[in-house]
Amino acid sequence: MRRFLDALYRVAGWAAAIAIFMIFALVAIQVSARLLDVGLRLVGLQPLGIRVPSIAEICGFLLGAASFLALAHTLVTGGHIRVGVLVNRLGGGARHVVETLLGIAGAALSFYATVALARLTIRSWNFNDVSYGIVPVPLALPQGLMTVGLAVLTIALVDVTVQAWTRRVYIQSRTEA
Amino acid sequence: MGVFELSLLLIVVMFAALALGLWIAFSLSLVALVALASKPAIPAAQVMATSLWSSSISWDLTALPMFIWMGEILFRSRLSENMFAGISPFVRRIPGRLAHVNVLGCAVFAAVSGSSAATTATVGKISLPELQKRGYDDRLAIGSLAGSGTLGLLIPPSIILIVYGAAVEESIARLFVAGVIPGLVLATLFMGYVALWALLNPSKMPPPDERTSWWHKLSAVRELLPVAMLILGVIGSIYGGIASPTEAAVVGVALSLVLARAQGALDWTRFKEGLMAATVTSCMIAFILAGADILTTAMGFTGLPRQLATWIGELGLSPMMLLAALTLLFIMLGCFLDGISMVVLTTAVIMPLVSAAGFDLVWFGIYLVIVVEMAQITPPVGFNLFVIQGLTGRDLFEIARATLPFFLLMAIMVIILAIFPDVALWLPRTMFAG
Repeated sequence: MRRFLDALYRVAGWAAAIAIFMIFALVAIQVSARLLDVGLRLVGLQPLGIRVPSIAEICGFLLGAASFLALAHTLVTGGHIRVGVLVNRLGGGARHVVETLLGIAGAALSFYATVALARLTIRSWNFNDVSYGIVPVPLALPQGLMTVGLAVLTIALVDVTVQAWTRRVYIQSRTEA
Repeated sequence: MGVFELSLLLIVVMFAALALGLWIAFSLSLVALVALASKPAIPAAQVMATSLWSSSISWDLTALPMFIWMGEILFRSRLSENMFAGISPFVRRIPGRLAHVNVLGCAVFAAVSGSSAATTATVGKISLPELQKRGYDDRLAIGSLAGSGTLGLLIPPSIILIVYGAAVEESIARLFVAGVIPGLVLATLFMGYVALWALLNPSKMPPPDERTSWWHKLSAVRELLPVAMLILGVIGSIYGGIASPTEAAVVGVALSLVLARAQGALDWTRFKEGLMAATVTSCMIAFILAGADILTTAMGFTGLPRQLATWIGELGLSPMMLLAALTLLFIMLGCFLDGISMVVLTTAVIMPLVSAAGFDLVWFGIYLVIVVEMAQITPPVGFNLFVIQGLTGRDLFEIARATLPFFLLMAIMVIILAIFPDVALWLPRTMFAG
């Protein structure tokens, strides 16, 4: 179970990293093509006019998917920030209670958001909503990936809560951005 | 529930959640849900889903992971060694000598990195041991590093300005360009203070080094060439209207990868590390922005920000008095909150107030960044202090004391910006596009 959960967070995290890399790759292709055209025009040749279609929309979707798929990995590696002035100074018993309650609150909010986003995804799916650009991307695709990311985050928060309650193991969250 | 009770409830929930240590993004969404619950006619879950979705997929926001990644690559390269070697021959004759490397190094690194923590850490990991070895005063070395590190937020690219721009829907390119001159003025103030301190405390300065030859200086320039090209390529192309911030950032990432590779500081492991670190940081910020967007929408439904704006408007404060009050509020908040949370809370709650008072949104963004910079060096929560604590092992309050003069210089910068708004607004007016 432990190994499955750790692998789950890691796989989602790497899927996010690949999405970030894809933004880089798409924009790099676009910029290179534009620079190539500038060069061609300088030597008197016809510019090729290569453009990545719907790049702004697609990169936006990739970013949305990346931000949500990375949520669980970011949580367990302590990447999500919080104000630590109080909780990091609490003694054993008090900290035990507070960390557990925070985990429950986080898991509840995350679950609520997962359900809300899942409903939005299902609605987009049923109405066959697509993006406005030249390449019509079904909105259910990025929304679905974001929902998956939130679902994994909910699992991770339950995991974190159980760890805090049963083993008194707390994640050391960052306290500043 | 009346306006007063609701406001009070929201403030209590917000501070309780934050103070107890609930993650910032969740604290923001929790307050938003409480606010929405006060209007039973509004479908809260639907509002939440729409906010999460629409705030996470903006093209402008894609600049965020790219600039963060660029910083991560450069942080893992040998840039900091190069910068110390490149800058130090030029400051040996100015009063304060090598202490200026902190200020100039931070200003230069700030122009390729969007974070004050990365700037402080990158410059400090070389400059602090070097300054200590040569017998420079500790307080001067620590204070000038902590102060100058905050330039990372003001001199473009800037993570905070991307967050602000995304939250208030203002052009990120214009915000970046607006930050250039205030950043340079602030760096000049810091250097002036270092020089003045050195003149007033000659006994605390180490004996002068021998003079450097022109040949030496020439070879030092070569060390700075790669970073100079990066700055020119990234900020120049934004200013010239050739590239959007995302495109400029992607070019920056590509050049940084080439640079790190050429230095032999990039293998597959480091590449993966840098990419993953960028993914994590970008995820954390994007999640806060999504939470803040839910809060902004929810606050819009309650109408509280508009009522606050009207109420403050009826007090008849002059813009300067309002600004003074806001600055005090931000400095207090800054003792406990990090910069990004401060910015998103501001945009969710007091933006109508700011617009009603007639402040230019670009100008206000620059003002906000300087105030957030001040928050980076106020104890007990100030990230630059934490970074330097990590580098030196000194006590947090000792570091904060050494940094106090630089805190006051930033307060002077706020006053300069308030009296001469064109310090920020002139350069964006000269842009070719955007």
